[in-house]
Amino acid sequence: MSQGGAVLLETREMSKTFGGLKAVDNVSFALREGIVTTLVGPNGAGKTTLFNLITGHLAADAGDVTWLGNSIRGVPHWKIAQSGIGRTFQDLKLFDQMTVEENVLTVTERGAWLWQGGGRTGLAARRARALDALDAVGLSGRRRARAIDLAYAERKFLSVARILAAGARLWLLDEPASGLDPGSYDRFVTLVRDQLRHGITICIIEHNLDIVKGISDRIAFLDQGRLLAEGEPQAILNDPALAAIYFGERAE
Amino acid sequence: MLFLQLLINGLQLGAIYALTAVGFALIFGSTKVFHVAHGAAFTIAGYLFWWSVSVQKWHWAAGLALAVAVVLAFGLAMERLVYRPIQRHEGAFFTVFIAAFGTQIIVQNLVGTVFGRGFETVTVGLSQAVEVAPNLFVAPIAGVALVVALVFFLGLNLFLTRTHVGTGLRALADNPDLVRVYGLEPTRLAQVAFALGSVLVVPAAALTAVTQGINPGLGAHIMLISLAATIVGGIGSLKGAAYGGMLLGLAESLAVWKLDPQWSEAVTFVILFAFIIFRPAGFLGRPHGAK
Amino acid sequence: MWAYLVNLAVLISINAILAVTLNFVLGYAGIFSMAHAVFFGVGAYTAALVAMKLSGGFLLSTAAGMALAGLISLALALPALRVRGEYFVAASLGLQMLAMTVFSEWKVVTGGIGGITNIPPARLPGWTVASPEQYLVLCLVCLALVMLAVATLVRSSFGRSLKAIRDDETAASAFGKNVAVIKTLAVVVSSALAAVAGSLYAFYLSFVNVESFTLDTSVVLMAMVIIGGTATLVGPVVGTVLILLLPAALSYLPGLPQSEIGSIQQMVYGLAMVLLMIFRPGGIWGFRDNPKDDR
Repeated sequence: MSQGGAVLLETREMSKTFGGLKAVDNVSFALREGIVTTLVGPNGAGKTTLFNLITGHLAADAGDVTWLGNSIRGVPHWKIAQSGIGRTFQDLKLFDQMTVEENVLTVTERGAWLWQGGGRTGLAARRARALDALDAVGLSGRRRARAIDLAYAERKFLSVARILAAGARLWLLDEPASGLDPGSYDRFVTLVRDQLRHGITICIIEHNLDIVKGISDRIAFLDQGRLLAEGEPQAILNDPALAAIYFGERAE
Repeated sequence: MLFLQLLINGLQLGAIYALTAVGFALIFGSTKVFHVAHGAAFTIAGYLFWWSVSVQKWHWAAGLALAVAVVLAFGLAMERLVYRPIQRHEGAFFTVFIAAFGTQIIVQNLVGTVFGRGFETVTVGLSQAVEVAPNLFVAPIAGVALVVALVFFLGLNLFLTRTHVGTGLRALADNPDLVRVYGLEPTRLAQVAFALGSVLVVPAAALTAVTQGINPGLGAHIMLISLAATIVGGIGSLKGAAYGGMLLGLAESLAVWKLDPQWSEAVTFVILFAFIIFRPAGFLGRPHGAK
Repeated sequence: MWAYLVNLAVLISINAILAVTLNFVLGYAGIFSMAHAVFFGVGAYTAALVAMKLSGGFLLSTAAGMALAGLISLALALPALRVRGEYFVAASLGLQMLAMTVFSEWKVVTGGIGGITNIPPARLPGWTVASPEQYLVLCLVCLALVMLAVATLVRSSFGRSLKAIRDDETAASAFGKNVAVIKTLAVVVSSALAAVAGSLYAFYLSFVNVESFTLDTSVVLMAMVIIGGTATLVGPVVGTVLILLLPAALSYLPGLPQSEIGSIQQMVYGLAMVLLMIFRPGGIWGFRDNPKDDR
């Protein structure tokens, strides 16, 4: 397994408290270029909160995030998104009333003004990019359907197509494989591997340890907001202390 | 003297606004329903009180009882027949808001058609103003208004902090799942919120009928004030809504000290704007009420 | 009869402009404005004043109204759109009440309750609009232009951004949409276009006063959009026609006291709003756009 290239994104001593509960507690870790880093840990470990801190959706109480060497703490999250960090959500957050094609096309259009730059050729290029993204996830045949009318697996792939079309360099995926049937899951893994070859960096939140084993280059283990361990999959997964924490919560 | 007179009027008005605003805030806080038909409940309560006391010559207590019964039925029916079916299939803030607004329009016009569109006042002994100092007129009802508001708030506070259902109501605002764990049904709690919120409107409406009179259009005004007070006080805070109501009542009354009376309503909304711009979380809300 | 029909058609076109522009923010952007009548009013007063004091023609008067309405809406939208949706409802309601006071009390400019009278007929290069029939033509042309503008915007990247924000604001900003700027622009465009209706109204009646721009007007406009169907181009026009034909239809019903017609009319559309929200939130025209049809 690859150990990855340069550090793309790094958190330093990040903390976030919700009403006395430390959701993220002094977490420092790094995402390296070109590999899949998986965040694992029991429910409530602070994984999604960490994503929200990175994307600027939540404001950290303490600590810093650097992206491509620059601090992005306090930067509005639409700006962070434009700088190349894309994400999916556990509840997908598709644009339900819009068509599949519009869902993907709209994320290629970043300008806030009444029209985008580039004129007709610009629109044609964006449309082509959107269709490519739909092709890649196998949804081009459904492009006129509304997002809300898609089947569950199709909805998940549409959420992936959105970051693909957005041209993000770093993908933060929140439980992308949960609820997928085996066939869809295989397609998903192939897609991810394919993207890595194109220089994309991926960070995944995942619960299912079989999936974690199959997909990770590195693993970061969180529990109760703290980063307990970070390293190669074998080392983390074979650590009895971590296993006890991970399986402990299921026994309760 | 004018200032003192306006201050007393303002306190009386503020007590009335605080009562309606707390009802609105209670319903919105615990069920997330933007119950703008709250103004309709106010209109219904005010007219029933006026009709039973001034037209039918009943005892005022009987008038209040009738108003409580009907407003309770109205609040519960709105929750059961309008909001719950909408939330089941849609749940958007927007859809609920329109249905509530439609109800407000229906009630306002229905009341106008049945009872007429003029100002109606209930006269009781307590509303006779006495000249306590040169040019300073105070009616005992002003004191009654303040006492009533305080009594209701203390009662509500006790209910919310000391009872099982009250605690559940406060929890509902934060986390509906937690409420289920607690052994309470969120739909049942929503009904309690609607019942309590609606009943709070009755003293406010009766006091208004006695002090300044009511007309069918007043419901819309009350709805606006409740909304504004909830925002000024901080969404999610009942205490804030009460202070917000009091502040708006005082401001509306004291505005007359320096401005023409026609501008007094405008003052309310200037305050609302100021809060939205400079302190969107309200004076008691959690900071960053914005997402 | 002919005069009555022409007058009705003119009023329908003017109200349809308002409904279509309100739908732009309400249906496509999910922004709930209760102050649309304010921008209608600003357009009407500004056009009237420019025509009378500066002897401006229709185009200049309308442009001035649009600019001022856009500017005022900016003052509303900038603070109120940064916070939650409920605040915008409250803020727009507040603006509506404030504007009513200003319209009726700022007597030097608005003429107070009496309003502004004797507004000269609309002048366009080479055409003085005189007869009601000519006004109808002007109104229909303006309606067509406004609908074209809205349709173009809705189909553009800007329209997609609006719909994305309406469907999921969090996701939209997570994909790089500057939500506050996009929403503010939508409000400014909608308000400026509403001012066109104001200008037409002022020139057509040659008289404006506060009564046309009250909260009731904002509510009726909302009813037109909701009943006709949000987020469709034709829905608001259908809603406008239905609501404006309602008084005429009611007056043919036997047994209704004439003095209560206005009240009954309001009850009918209040009831229609409640029932539609429970059973058919998409509005009457909405079924044309049923998700199932896309399959």
